[in-house]
Amino acid sequence: MSNMAVTLHSTRFGRLEVPADAVIEFPNGLIGLGGTRYALLARSEDSAFIWLHSLDDPELAVPVTNPWRFFGEFEVELSDEEAERIGITDAEQTSVYVTVRAAEALEDFHANLRAPILIAHGKGYQVINQAGEAPMRAPLFAGLAKEAAA
Amino acid sequence: MLIITRRPGEKIMLGDDVVVEVIEVSGSNVRIGIAAPKSVPVYREEIWTAVKEENAAAAATPSDVSLPSPDPLPQ
Repeated sequence: MSNMAVTLHSTRFGRLEVPADAVIEFPNGLIGLGGTRYALLARSEDSAFIWLHSLDDPELAVPVTNPWRFFGEFEVELSDEEAERIGITDAEQTSVYVTVRAAEALEDFHANLRAPILIAHGKGYQVINQAGEAPMRAPLFAGLAKEAAA
Repeated sequence: MLIITRRPGEKIMLGDDVVVEVIEVSGSNVRIGIAAPKSVPVYREEIWTAVKEENAAAAATPSDVSLPSPDPLPQ
């Protein structure tokens, strides 16, 4: 049966049943982290932060967020070779997430706008964003960081 | 590390599927062409290293940081 749920024994969150249609295949894994199957885990659909959890490694999970929640001007631009390689051409059908380095203090939260994660039709790819100013470490709460520095 | 001397226009095969070609040498710059199957992503090493470090740092986020605890999201 191909539509069986996957049981995840997460070291972070304990035992979770992930429905088959929530499994995302990452043919190349996450850059430097590997993994081939992940799922997005969130308390509710409007959670600002979501965990992209490996289904292969019970210890591997990365917090991600919708970049436009924090960066209104955010853009993803792919080289033609990259777009062809991953076969994602329809922006409307593509979900975009960015990884988050979280910390105790909100002003130390950063997102990687340079290497967003694109998900479409059950497949996910972490890509290199060619958009000019996309930084590897963008403060999520820039206003707070400024206040803290003042 | 294997070190091979090549001239512009000459190529190197990595296995049967990946071709690396020296396109042009100009001063201290070398232009390189790479033809690889779609299953093989190609990165500039310094970007790959930096993204790898960011991913590892994100994956090291403590579970109890004030992020929501999860339920599977429908696709």
